[in-house]
Amino acid sequence: MKIFVCIDDTDNIDSRGTGELASLLAADIDKKGWGRSHYITRHQLLVHPDVPYTSHNSSMCFAADIHESQLNAVISHAGNFLKKESAEGSDPGLCIAVSDRLTRPETVIEFGQKAKRMVLTKQESYGLAEDLGIHLSEHGGTGDGIIGALAGVGLRMSGNDGRLRGKIKIDSPNQTIKVGEICAHPSVDEVRNLDGKVIPDDQIIELGEKIKTVLLGGKLILLVMPVEGETGSASWRTCPKNILKTY
Amino acid sequence: MWFVNRKEGRVFLHGKDDPVAAADAAAACAGFRPDAEEEIVADEPVSCYNCRYRRWSADSLTCQKHA
Repeated sequence: MKIFVCIDDTDNIDSRGTGELASLLAADIDKKGWGRSHYITRHQLLVHPDVPYTSHNSSMCFAADIHESQLNAVISHAGNFLKKESAEGSDPGLCIAVSDRLTRPETVIEFGQKAKRMVLTKQESYGLAEDLGIHLSEHGGTGDGIIGALAGVGLRMSGNDGRLRGKIKIDSPNQTIKVGEICAHPSVDEVRNLDGKVIPDDQIIELGEKIKTVLLGGKLILLVMPVEGETGSASWRTCPKNILKTY
Repeated sequence: MWFVNRKEGRVFLHGKDDPVAAADAAAACAGFRPDAEEEIVADEPVSCYNCRYRRWSADSLTCQKHA
C-alpha cells in the first residue's frame, strides 16, 4: 500500500532540521524491510505572527510503498522516533495517510492549500483526520506540529507544491548536459521553463551550483531559464536558488 | 540595516528580496551559520537569508542570534 508520511515542528534553532529527521525515518522504513520510501519534499506553510514556528514553517513529506501488515509498525516507530529525536522545545507532529483508503483526498489537499494562506487549528486538523481515517499524533511540546504535518500530506498529494529535499548530483565535466540525459536521473521527470513549456530532449542545459527539482503536476520538474547573449552550446540554464525558493 | 522593536526583536530592514544587503549583513556578522540545505534560498552562500538564526516573518526576517 502507498502511504504518505509527513512530520513538522521537530527542531529548534540549534538542532538538526526536520528534513534530516524525515530522511532518517524514510531510511528506517527501508532498513527494517517494511517497504520502500521515496523522495522527500519540503512544503512551505503560512508565515504569520499567530503561527508558532522555529524559523521557516515548513513541513517535510515522503511517500512509501509498504507491506499492509507493517502499517502499525511504521506508525508506532515513527511516533517513537519523533519523541526520541525531536529537539528540546519543539512541538512535533506526525501524519500518516494511506492513499487507497482516502475517500475524499481533495479535502486533505484543500486543507494543505488553506494552511499556506490562513491560520488553522489543532481542532480542525484532528477533526479532518478523524473523518478521513488519517493517523495524526503529537509527540512533545504543544503538539502544534500536527497542523503542518496534515497540511504537508495534502500538499504532497496535490502534486503541485514543494521542492525536493537535497541537491541532484550530475557528473558532467563541462557542466552541461542534454535534457534527455538529465531526465534519466531518478529525481528528474521532466525539464520545463518558467512558463511551463516542456524542453525537448536534444536541448542543452548549463548546470548551476544547485540542481533541484520541484513538484508540479505530480512530476519532479527541473526548471530552467534561457541563456541569453552568450555563444556557448547551452540554450538553457538551471534556475538559481532565489527562483526555486518560491516553490 | 536592522531595526529593533520590542515585539519582534531585531528586524532586517531590507525585506526578503535584497540579496546584496543580506550578503553584506552576514559577511559582517560573526554569528552566521548556514541553515539546512533545504532552507538555503539565496545564491550567495553567506547571507542572512541562508542563516539558521534567521526567522522569516511576513515581510522580512528577524535575527535570533543577536535578538
